[in-house]
Amino acid sequence: MGETILEVTNQRTAFATGRGLLQAVDGVSFTLERGKILGVVGESGSGKSVLSRSIMRLLPGTAVTGPGSRVVLNGQDLMQMSEGELRRLRGPQMAIVFQDPMTALNPVLTIGKQISEVLTFHLKMGKRDARRKAVELLRAVGLPQPDVRVDQYPHQLSGGMRQRVAIAIAIACEPDLLIADEPTTALDVTVQAEILDLLQRMVRERNMAMVLITHDMGVVAGRCDEVAVMYAGRIVEKAPVTELFRNTAMPYTAALFASIPRVTDPPHRKLDAIEGRPPDLINPPPGCPFAPRCRFAEEACRRTVPELEGTATHQWACIKPLNREVAA
Amino acid sequence: MNAPTGKIDAFLSIENLTVEYPLSRKAKVHAVTDFTAHVRRGETLGLVGESGCGKSSAARAVMQLPRPTRGSVRLDGKELTGLKGRELQAARRRFQMIFQDPIASLNPRQTIRDIVAAPLEIAGIGTRAEHAARVAEMLDLVGINPDQAMERRPHEFSGGQCQRISIARALILKPELLVCDEAVSALDVSVQAQVLNLLERLKGEFGLTMLFISHDLAVVKHVSDRVAVMYLGKLCELAPAETIYRHPVHPYTRTLLAAVPEPDPEALRDRVELIPGELPSPVNPPSGCPFRTRCPYATERCAAEVPEIREIAPGHTIACHHPLLN
Repeated sequence: MGETILEVTNQRTAFATGRGLLQAVDGVSFTLERGKILGVVGESGSGKSVLSRSIMRLLPGTAVTGPGSRVVLNGQDLMQMSEGELRRLRGPQMAIVFQDPMTALNPVLTIGKQISEVLTFHLKMGKRDARRKAVELLRAVGLPQPDVRVDQYPHQLSGGMRQRVAIAIAIACEPDLLIADEPTTALDVTVQAEILDLLQRMVRERNMAMVLITHDMGVVAGRCDEVAVMYAGRIVEKAPVTELFRNTAMPYTAALFASIPRVTDPPHRKLDAIEGRPPDLINPPPGCPFAPRCRFAEEACRRTVPELEGTATHQWACIKPLNREVAA
Repeated sequence: MNAPTGKIDAFLSIENLTVEYPLSRKAKVHAVTDFTAHVRRGETLGLVGESGCGKSSAARAVMQLPRPTRGSVRLDGKELTGLKGRELQAARRRFQMIFQDPIASLNPRQTIRDIVAAPLEIAGIGTRAEHAARVAEMLDLVGINPDQAMERRPHEFSGGQCQRISIARALILKPELLVCDEAVSALDVSVQAQVLNLLERLKGEFGLTMLFISHDLAVVKHVSDRVAVMYLGKLCELAPAETIYRHPVHPYTRTLLAAVPEPDPEALRDRVELIPGELPSPVNPPSGCPFRTRCPYATERCAAEVPEIREIAPGHTIACHHPLLN
């Protein structure tokens, strides 16, 4: 239907550690179309942030990328590119907003300088034009008094304002793909709502594609078209957002929903906690990685790793999916 | 000045609590201003608000860590603010605290046995052998295997496990009041649910009274009987949990609740549009109502007059000139 912007195929990313190879991302595949928002949810250690850096090719030297991994952006295979070629791509074609707005900005440069840098490098703008454009971008992301703020340093801004600046830098060259890695986790709820509104609006207005990475099911519920749930480095369920919430197939997703405290619950309701902890990714258990914590697990679950299966729109990695008697 | 809080039989009474931090000779941070709340025995009072609203300062002032600038904190009728040295130490056995960062709040060089036994050591209760037995009992209670854990150090445990160990340490003296400052905020949801369930269970077993501070409104609702909302150091609204979530009356409470991202794609979002801008500085808080600079309903009166805390229904108090009653 829409134009495909991003195609990730069998992405595998591991890190060499003292105890052995840690498989942080273990065979992730998905595609993303222009104008769409894909939510990637998971708990810490599920591999969602490593996935975002794998797409941006922003991995540290210790990272080992699997031989079959492919990331294709606008028809270009990023694996085949040199660091110089990638640098020219980051900004105009893909950009990332990180979780921590305190450390993502350079503390010794004014925010105007940090935005202009992108514009002069990629768009070859002159100093004066770049500054004018920087003020315009700051206004677009809703920073109050942009013509004053442009000459200030990051420490003079609040966390929410800094995140707006980070977004201004990310969208400066109108990228086709924006990756937002926990963009609001460090912020208060009222500010979070404003930043998410902003990101959503940017994607719609500029017809970008966005990968929104978060641990918060509430954030994906209101903001995404499609959601991928990650566990132990894999996508374990993927579906359009309403389908995922209304017709959950994977026991892990269901268990995650059940463990969330909700404002609509009466006080003191006992939560359905998931017992145990996520698996050790250096020595993962055999079979389904969720099997040791899954209350529906049986012998077969501990033997083979389930592949993603299902329909064209809704997939799950489970041999005993929930509510699927008819579909099977 | 005293708020009509429907004089309840309070186990913990916080009255006109004020916390100020000096910045220079002239300026000071008004972290908490005239905060009043009463907590019944066995009850959990939730304290919510965004960063900088003074909720942690209020909690620490209750703990006398450090003591408040003004105001009174009474536990079971005993005034805590005047206590010093040994008297304060003795009183502290009755109130303990759990902090946000589970790993940083445990000494990395000590074994779990020494960490959990520390309160007994400080209070001078029992022998070393008795300590070991008590520590084992407490670890067992919070779901940590004592045989495997006692001689290990904090870095060998996950965040959730460290928080369980903190809970064991906080409860080893059998306190009556437990103050939790963002105690589950650093944990993943699946682990957070385990720790919340544990706290609820132990509250029953130990007959605890709790002051539960969090920025997460869903978590607070989950554990609280009553909830107090703070903004810029002041109380906005205090009511039974169900009431405040269902019928918030203070514009700020309504804003805060509407901003909570609900894990439901079809949830209706009735957002109260805030006046754009930033949280005012607690060094120079606005005159009158602290929320007026961002409140869409603010009038001249809100700038001129500090809204008194008043009771609009039994047990439901607010500080607002233009409450959203309908």
